[in-house]
Amino acid sequence: MILSSMKNVVFGYGQAPVLNGVSLDIHCGEFVGITGPNGAAKTTMLKLLLGLLKPWSGTVQLNEKALDGNKLRIGYVPQNVASFNSGFPSHVLELVKSGCYSRLGLFKRFTLEQEAVVEQSLKQVGMWEYRNRRIGELSGGQKQRICIARALSGEPNVLILDEPTAGMDQQSRIGFYQLMRHCVTTHGITVIMVTHGLEESNQYLDRVISLEQRESEEWQCLSTSSCSVRFGPEHVSE
Amino acid sequence: MFEYEFMQRAFWAGACIGIIAPMLGVYLMLRRQALMADTLSHVSLAGVALGSVLGLNPVVYGFVVAVIGGILVEQLRRTYRTYSEVPVAIIMTSGLALAIVLMSFRSNLNKSFSSYLFGSIVAVSDIQLWLIACVALVGVGYFFVLRRPLYNLTFDEETAQIGGVRVRGLTFSFAVLTGMTVAAAMPIVGVLLVSSLMVLPASLALRLAKGFTAAIVMAVIIGLMGIFSGLTASYYINTPPGGTIALTLLIFLLVGIAYQRLRLVLHKRRARTSWGKVLNEQEYQNKGESHFEI
Repeated sequence: MILSSMKNVVFGYGQAPVLNGVSLDIHCGEFVGITGPNGAAKTTMLKLLLGLLKPWSGTVQLNEKALDGNKLRIGYVPQNVASFNSGFPSHVLELVKSGCYSRLGLFKRFTLEQEAVVEQSLKQVGMWEYRNRRIGELSGGQKQRICIARALSGEPNVLILDEPTAGMDQQSRIGFYQLMRHCVTTHGITVIMVTHGLEESNQYLDRVISLEQRESEEWQCLSTSSCSVRFGPEHVSE
Repeated sequence: MFEYEFMQRAFWAGACIGIIAPMLGVYLMLRRQALMADTLSHVSLAGVALGSVLGLNPVVYGFVVAVIGGILVEQLRRTYRTYSEVPVAIIMTSGLALAIVLMSFRSNLNKSFSSYLFGSIVAVSDIQLWLIACVALVGVGYFFVLRRPLYNLTFDEETAQIGGVRVRGLTFSFAVLTGMTVAAAMPIVGVLLVSSLMVLPASLALRLAKGFTAAIVMAVIIGLMGIFSGLTASYYINTPPGGTIALTLLIFLLVGIAYQRLRLVLHKRRARTSWGKVLNEQEYQNKGESHFEI
């Protein structure tokens, strides 16, 4: 089932387009890596997929419903989210719990199951022991991890991550890719991730979309057919 | 002091604005819009001048124009996304310029204008008191009902939007509430000091509180204490109430900062001997291990 589809998308910030004629499909339950050099409009592509930006021409479609028929829940970790205001008056648990607000609406109370999901999310990123710390007291890497936990606590069907491993050491990066692979394989979550560290993440990804520059300085995604499709260890049998 | 009706009214008005203004101030500061209150008070002044020139109720006109100003700032903020202080500067200068030009049409306006510039809480009229009470009630309801989307919006606008928060509607309604609060607070401390009621209690609460709700509650308590003690002081030492309230809040802030610094110094001194050992232990434990677990 196709989760999101871009067809002949053209988009730019000034007068010249930065993305020109991009077409691609993302399927449910895929772990997709988007790569390309600096300025290749990777973040722009994510924002177009999320509907935060409107294309000049072409179409972007994102399924409103998940496979189970319920409303699609998206967890998003933007680029440099860890550089947020360090004086933000919240402790870790409060911030991670806010990831559930979209599910709870305005008045519903936290259920025991949701409390358990929050706890599990924090444990998965190794931040449970820091749950009562003020977020301003955390390092950049720790902030990045609680932002990932916040996205996970909303029990998303889709996780969209913009350079999520920035500021992490090598062991943590590998641990993070393994966790994402687990989310995809075990829970059927779709993960779309912008990354520069393809050599590390490659073996965990189902597919890599790379943005390449054409002679006219516009960036174009390799079309789905010509895109190098790479399968992770769990998909070798396919 | 309370045998005088004007003082009773002043305390009621102070209580209403002491609840809503610091609450709003916490959100304004976190959204990097600390000068929004200053801007809207200048815009509101233009409304007051317009009402006076047209021979209509200046309070109502000041209120309406402040709300329109809030909406304009929000609209401009979308145009100047990277420079959030630019719309504030544009609207502030426009509001002040308009007020000066409108004032020139009526030569006898200067006297009544000084009460708007410097505030006169002890001369709060019935209509102003009702206006302040209504704004406080609407504001408290707004922040209670929308506390979750507002938290997400304040933390990060993009993730809030993706999480289903109607960002546009929420930011515009927030701007409208800011305009309403500024217009209602003007009679207390005046145009020049209106932002002190929002920014000073919030600045101290943001330094001291550990959580978001705690910060809001603390800001309200500090705001109420500042207004009540400022009003009392101004009554006994016969000083202008607006300035006295602002100075009281400033003293609270300075004492709070000094207390925090002192606590930090004492904490550092106590921990100096054991720190090295703890850090080495943590480094050893974290070495070569991933933080993530499945």
